[in-house]
Amino acid sequence: MAVINLKNRQIECKLVYYGPGRSGKTANLEYINKNFSKQVAGKMISIDTEGDRTLFFDFLPIGLGKIRGCDVRVQLYTVPGQVKYRATRELVLRGADGIIFVADSLAVRREKNMMSLKDLHENLKKMGLDIRRIPLSLQYNKRDLENTGLPIMSIEKMEKELNRQLKVQSFPTSALTGEGVGKTLTHTIKLILAHLQKEFKWADGS
Amino acid sequence: MDLISKIKLDFKEAELYRSQGLLDEAIDKYTAIEALIKANSNIRQRKSLLAKIASRIDELNKKMKRISAPTPPPKVSEDAQTLMKEMFTYDDPEAKGSSSLGGAIALAKFGQYDKAIEELTRLLEYESLRVEAAKNLLSCWIQQNYVEYAVSLFQKWKKTRFFPPEELAIVLGHFQEVLAAAGVTREIAGVELQKTIEPDSEINDEDILDISATKFSLPGGPRKGERVEFEVSFQSGKYIQIIIPKKEKDLINGLNPGNMLKDIIFYSPAAIFSGTGFLSSKKAIEAGPKRGDYSFSIKIIDIKS
Repeated sequence: MAVINLKNRQIECKLVYYGPGRSGKTANLEYINKNFSKQVAGKMISIDTEGDRTLFFDFLPIGLGKIRGCDVRVQLYTVPGQVKYRATRELVLRGADGIIFVADSLAVRREKNMMSLKDLHENLKKMGLDIRRIPLSLQYNKRDLENTGLPIMSIEKMEKELNRQLKVQSFPTSALTGEGVGKTLTHTIKLILAHLQKEFKWADGS
Repeated sequence: MDLISKIKLDFKEAELYRSQGLLDEAIDKYTAIEALIKANSNIRQRKSLLAKIASRIDELNKKMKRISAPTPPPKVSEDAQTLMKEMFTYDDPEAKGSSSLGGAIALAKFGQYDKAIEELTRLLEYESLRVEAAKNLLSCWIQQNYVEYAVSLFQKWKKTRFFPPEELAIVLGHFQEVLAAAGVTREIAGVELQKTIEPDSEINDEDILDISATKFSLPGGPRKGERVEFEVSFQSGKYIQIIIPKKEKDLINGLNPGNMLKDIIFYSPAAIFSGTGFLSSKKAIEAGPKRGDYSFSIKIIDIKS
């Protein structure tokens, strides 16, 4: 839930990285933390456990400076992807203004992608939100593995399986090399701001 | 593709899954390679390859075991605790302190009990928040298995009249639910159990046949709705007793005093009849060969056929 302070011209919103376990959500935040130092507005907090699996969430605050007269801050969160942490995902998702769904391009993770997207859909529904109305982007991550001869799904196949009904903007990415990470983030933040503008008219008269 | 090239490619794939932490996928791939090598006796260095694969599978299985083992939530850094608290802090000018309550509850949900208890204890001072704070405070102690402490805390509130009677009743109701959910069913001094009003039975004791077994749908718990048959261990007129072994936790947690059993069937050597039952008591057996098992008393309210 965005906090909009019109008096001080400040907007603070929440963007959540969602997706199956090991798809690269934390790697996205790590890349942003390392390569967007100008925008990073605080320490990245990461709570992981055995085998680098996210236990609770990761958090990274970023500041975008003034946009149409407003100081815009975005809190980036990741959810734990493992199926057993459903309750934590619900908790972290609460109050999200936008979502980046990080899908794994490895063919063996096809089913996990679909299950995680379904889980997102259900969790949003529980909160009275519609997956087709919330600002959402898709990432097809691990594209750096494309030329290794390993079984990677084609973009067309992933589009067909994950985005046929949603029809949102999708990005081929590699959180490891950073390819597409910034683009996805920028696009989703734009969607969030446009959504907030529609709802709260925060940029009127600026 | 020849066999060696295929094995090399599969091995590369398995190693990738392993490095990515995709443990299930890596095990599947190594197992497939193992089967392929075992089926072909003319592969060079076959023995050492199989040994390497077996060691990889073993290592992955161990890792999976470690990851899936239930562990208590770790205590996280102060920064992370503050963040957990703030994640659920929304400014609400109408309810002073309520934002802190949301934060404290979030800390408890993430298993950060020490910090949550500190926050909730502080919030007991707010009249509008104290009931919720007390409920969550007791839950925090029970979650950490400090049953006695939780009971003494409740007793203290009761003795010092910290809460007005109607608020104390709400806290007590919640406390009993939490205790039941944690499997604590023994009577606790100072904590009056919520009195369940037993419905009257329209049946005379002498009209009831000897009942050897009974069957009904579980009214609660993880197996709610499932029809289960139980042997009757004892009968006194319209009261029958069943015993559930301690290992059947799902059944034990699904039955609680006050449950109305609307579709109950009674089996007697002479006839089968259905009716309504009322679960009037639940007790852990404290001595003898059935120690730790649970005994339940069911009152027969009416008989339909």
